[in-house]
Amino acid sequence: MKTAIFAVALAAAAPAVTHSDSILTICIYAFLMGALAVSFNFIFGLTGQLSLFHAAAFGLSAYVSVLLVTRLHWGFWISLILAVLAAVIVAAAVATLCFRFKLREFYFAIVTMALSEILRLWIQNWYELTNGTLGISFVQKPEIWTPYGYITVSSSTSWYFVSLTILVAVSALCWRLQQSWVGRAFSAIRLNEQLAETMGIDVFAYKFLNFVLGSALAGLVGVFYAFYTGFVEPDYLSVTQSLDIVAMVLLGGVNSVAGPILGAFILTALPHVIDMGAEVRVILYGVVLIVVILALPKGLRSLVGRERHAT
Amino acid sequence: MLLEVRGITKKFGGLTAVSKVSFGVEAGEIVGIFGPNGSGKTTLLNLIMGMAEPTGGDILWKGVSIVGHRPFEIAQHGIAKTFQNPQLFPELSVLDHMKIATHLRLKRKLGAKRILTLSGMRDVVGEFLAAIADVLRLCRLDQYTDRPVSSLSYGAEKMVGVAMALTCDPELLLLDEPTSGLSQEETVNLEDVLRGLGTHGVTMCVIDHRVRFLSRLAPKAIALHHGSLIASGETGAVLRDEGVRSAYLGIHHA
Amino acid sequence: MIQVVVTQMLNGAIVGALYGIVALGVTLTFCITGVVNFALGAFMVLGAYFTWWCHEVAGIPYIPSVFLAVLAVSVLGYLADAGLFRFTRNHLVNGLLVSIGLISIVEASVLLIWTATPKNLSYVLPGVIRVAGISVSQIKLVISAALVAVVAATYVGLTRTWFGRSAFAYAQNPEAAMLMGVNTARLETMVFVYSTSLAALGGGLYASLYSIEPSLGGFYILKGVEAAILAGVGEVLGSLAGGVILGISENVGSIYLPSALRDAYGLVFLILILLLKPAGLFGGKK
Repeated sequence: MKTAIFAVALAAAAPAVTHSDSILTICIYAFLMGALAVSFNFIFGLTGQLSLFHAAAFGLSAYVSVLLVTRLHWGFWISLILAVLAAVIVAAAVATLCFRFKLREFYFAIVTMALSEILRLWIQNWYELTNGTLGISFVQKPEIWTPYGYITVSSSTSWYFVSLTILVAVSALCWRLQQSWVGRAFSAIRLNEQLAETMGIDVFAYKFLNFVLGSALAGLVGVFYAFYTGFVEPDYLSVTQSLDIVAMVLLGGVNSVAGPILGAFILTALPHVIDMGAEVRVILYGVVLIVVILALPKGLRSLVGRERHAT
Repeated sequence: MLLEVRGITKKFGGLTAVSKVSFGVEAGEIVGIFGPNGSGKTTLLNLIMGMAEPTGGDILWKGVSIVGHRPFEIAQHGIAKTFQNPQLFPELSVLDHMKIATHLRLKRKLGAKRILTLSGMRDVVGEFLAAIADVLRLCRLDQYTDRPVSSLSYGAEKMVGVAMALTCDPELLLLDEPTSGLSQEETVNLEDVLRGLGTHGVTMCVIDHRVRFLSRLAPKAIALHHGSLIASGETGAVLRDEGVRSAYLGIHHA
Repeated sequence: MIQVVVTQMLNGAIVGALYGIVALGVTLTFCITGVVNFALGAFMVLGAYFTWWCHEVAGIPYIPSVFLAVLAVSVLGYLADAGLFRFTRNHLVNGLLVSIGLISIVEASVLLIWTATPKNLSYVLPGVIRVAGISVSQIKLVISAALVAVVAATYVGLTRTWFGRSAFAYAQNPEAAMLMGVNTARLETMVFVYSTSLAALGGGLYASLYSIEPSLGGFYILKGVEAAILAGVGEVLGSLAGGVILGISENVGSIYLPSALRDAYGLVFLILILLLKPAGLFGGKK
């Protein structure tokens, strides 16, 4: 806990020290991806379900919010709420489908992958609405109310604090749930579903809750990500995007909340620090994924700190 | 009657595992279930626990049918079950197992309001730590509290299963071969624990192959053979029954 | 109108046969190693590009080009098994992730080396045959025949040879097979490598019909997995049928429904089958 508070304080102070735009930019991406990775691990690390639908929730919310703002000219915050709601509804449908039919890990992964692809194709092909593969570029930015008046979140510094806040909020929520009776129920499901059920845990309800909440958080991050980059495209929902998240989480370690953040930082910062083409970046992620799975199954976090049990 | 099983039948494709079995358990009773391997004993307990759905018949808990209820609902009704092969949560410690087992207690204590416990930083399990310690002591597991369950002996693993079931504060405890794989000493240990539970009024249905152990523990018994009930009543009488003896011929454990 | 439908059906059948060969590889690997190997798409794309390179750049005739490509890819398949998949035999999810990682790497590498510009083979077997007013190119017929022959040969190999039967036995009951003296490690490797050769063959044959680009692998492995699950994983002859069914329904469907949705059919089938009849259309005997 103390290290976490220290780290956050450090991070909050950083913009005072460095004015380098490129460093701030890297951090913004890392914070947002970190939040995304934490929300993924909320599902994968706790209930053990490998959801390849995560990017779909991320991208879906991004599209809904962008479309509401650019086409209907609604405000950012109402669009954010509706976008996350959209992710919740779709995730609820997916969860009901998968968990009612009692899909086990492996088939669950395949079905979530298939559903994610269907969603992506649907968005990609609804050309009139979404511009297809070209994506949508836009200039609107969120506005935040402060006692000093409205601030438009457009500068790197303001985005730095917004994305840091999101990372901290998502991580705090996931951490609090993980170490509570809710998190224990999730872990019980992951480790021995049958036993968990005989202990009085409604396995379907908890898996459902876990999946929907994790996906909702992914949607939340998706909206901010889209508004930061000013761009949204169907690849936001691609299986490759889901795999990037998996790579981050496995790299950092699934047993903690800090692990995915660490993994996200490394994989997000690396392509910026080392200038590499898009293809090389893909190769890097693929290599990392494979190396981590085969050599470091518990991720880097297990090397760095004490391993905490998932209860 | 606390639990009533009426004509329960379970078929797996062409195989009939349990055939029209009927018996009742009153509150506070300890009922032993005898029968050679494959006679349907484990299936019977699985049916009561909702882990399998009967092909026919009914199961009544306090007069209400519980057929078709999911295992977690049956647990909520107050029935707990242990497994012949210890079912555990890999990687976790004994204490972690017990904390998970307090799920039902929390639900019964606070109901929907337990969500509110998430608003603070406190882990609500703190309220149950005393009860957990009691159960661990009762099961002679207190020395292993923080040990990962994978480091325990087979007998201790089985005791963890019993301890978890007890933590659920059940009205009916279903035990599937609790002494199988246990050493003599561990069996005596278990017998003490179960006797203690019996005097506290916990109702039990116990399957076991150790005939002497079970006949000392359970005053009442039923006997199954090829899925059918072949005898029921006072344990001594059941064990002297001709049909039961011939079913058990050559499979007598001490 | 009938002509359009029949032409689409024929095209669908040919494409379907290609799906089928990949599906066969998927089904074999799954039964023996337990992994749905997405990397087979990588081997297919490599097979296609190696064939293209041999034929267009090195000037080698078509059939030897395909043969060389299959050989080269099989070696790579062997290396992948020895270096990677050997360690994921009992972890389906890990194997899935590793295979997806591998296909990403291969696709990106191919993109780097040969760029995204589609490559074409100069005409291997030009000419068409006309039957009842419908024209079908000769090369398509030959390729289809070749694919059917390979699937049939695989089936015969599995049911008639000692090796094939031990593979069958192993798929049903690994421990029993081991006790009977089957060298299971070698068996797994051989089946894996055979699957990669099938994928490479599919790629090489594909190259003679259509233009190739790096994303080919990802596309086809998804179709292959869909066809394998549709047919029922483990059905050898069924995987060809599954592929053809998929191919035909996609092509015929796109006459009536927006072609943009073509790729969605397979995905919807996949989900429906996994939810409702996991054993697949032809599975469920045993």
